[in-house]
Amino acid sequence: MSLNSEALPKSQEVTAAPEASNQPWEPKIVGFACNWCTYAGADLAGLSRLQYPPSIRLIRVPCSGRTNPQFIIRAFQRGADGVLVAGCHPGDCHYSTGNYFTRRRFLLMQRLLEYMGIDPARFQARWISGSEGPKFQQVVTQMTEDIKALGPNRKMRDVE
Amino acid sequence: MITEKMRTAAKDLLEKGEVTTVIGWEKGTFWYNSTPVFISKPEEVDRLVFDEFCANNLAKYLMDYRNAEGKTAVFVKGCDARGVNRLVQDYQVNRDKVFLIGIPCSGMKEAPKTAEKQDSSKLPLLKKCQECATPNPVVYDLLLGDPVSERQVPDRFSGVEAIEGKTADEKYAYWQSMHSQCIRCYACRNACPACNCRECCFDANGLNWLGKQNNVQENQMFAMTRAMHVAGRCIECGECERVCPMGLPIMEINRKILKDINELFGPQDAGMSLEDKPALGQFKLDDPEKFM
Repeated sequence: MSLNSEALPKSQEVTAAPEASNQPWEPKIVGFACNWCTYAGADLAGLSRLQYPPSIRLIRVPCSGRTNPQFIIRAFQRGADGVLVAGCHPGDCHYSTGNYFTRRRFLLMQRLLEYMGIDPARFQARWISGSEGPKFQQVVTQMTEDIKALGPNRKMRDVE
Repeated sequence: MITEKMRTAAKDLLEKGEVTTVIGWEKGTFWYNSTPVFISKPEEVDRLVFDEFCANNLAKYLMDYRNAEGKTAVFVKGCDARGVNRLVQDYQVNRDKVFLIGIPCSGMKEAPKTAEKQDSSKLPLLKKCQECATPNPVVYDLLLGDPVSERQVPDRFSGVEAIEGKTADEKYAYWQSMHSQCIRCYACRNACPACNCRECCFDANGLNWLGKQNNVQENQMFAMTRAMHVAGRCIECGECERVCPMGLPIMEINRKILKDINELFGPQDAGMSLEDKPALGQFKLDDPEKFM
């Protein structure tokens, strides 16, 4: 597990930044990207020189089904303002069925987070294929805007 | 009466050598305790009892006997029987090595606040028994006594709906106040028939799945992780809540997930039969698509 405090910078840097400089606050989004689709899609977005906010930090996983619910809770604990899980479209999974399990698991997870008081906009799952560079750009832009509107996440944080 | 039948059945099984151990309940230190007992000699069967304090779910103890020689007999109430189904379905226990003696159960009682009068008739039913929809064992090899009629149970999701009606900040504050009380004794995990991993992720030191400090965030992580781990496999026996020394509403989280599973993937009741696979261990091509 590389999701330790080194991988995710501490929240002071996020929150202290606006006072220290006049830079507007930028959200931190942790993105779990499937190796076969979304990671390639993100690569395509980069190759095509598509501009998207630098708020997302991608973590490559072999399949969106690899993303453990604990990864998401830990990301929020360690200072993420939003978490994105992205993988192949249903039917396109490299391992045939991984993303169908992802879909069930994270439908429940999102509702559980909402039940615990976390805004569901902070946790999203999306299907982005290897050819959908523009979709990756659009998803990251949209999510950054949504989370900017919500402001920094203070809930479930372990680091202050 | 049931107690007599239990002793006869246990003695018979042990004398014939059909089973090597019988798991049941015996009278505990006080008149309002009945604790699990493990009997391997026919002459000890008189320790067995069945009264209104046999609340322990005995299914989990089969985990300790799964590699034992010969068969193990276990007394099962409605909730225990679903627990056995859970363990068999999770490949933790071989059904052929287990002999189930079913006991229809009309509910267990709470221990009294004061131990003065030995009168159990006025004691209230345990919360888990008030909410119980399966008083009769769903699976057994031998049934003692007559099946009891199904009780009227309150709407099992009413507590969940009450919490869902709150605002996000109220929900967060509510769960913070609850999880700040958690002492992480893991009693809920230890009692749970769905928590049957050989090595629990919370015991794995090296991987650091869960910090060792006792603070709200880690407690919350523990609670949410456990809820996701038993999602779709929870048999609603309510043991987690009963054994919680801090009285946390653990079933409110498990039932929330159950409610969502019912809404999203169709009605599911884990442990009712071996054919129904857990909700998160299967999928349908036309599952709801909220993410796109």
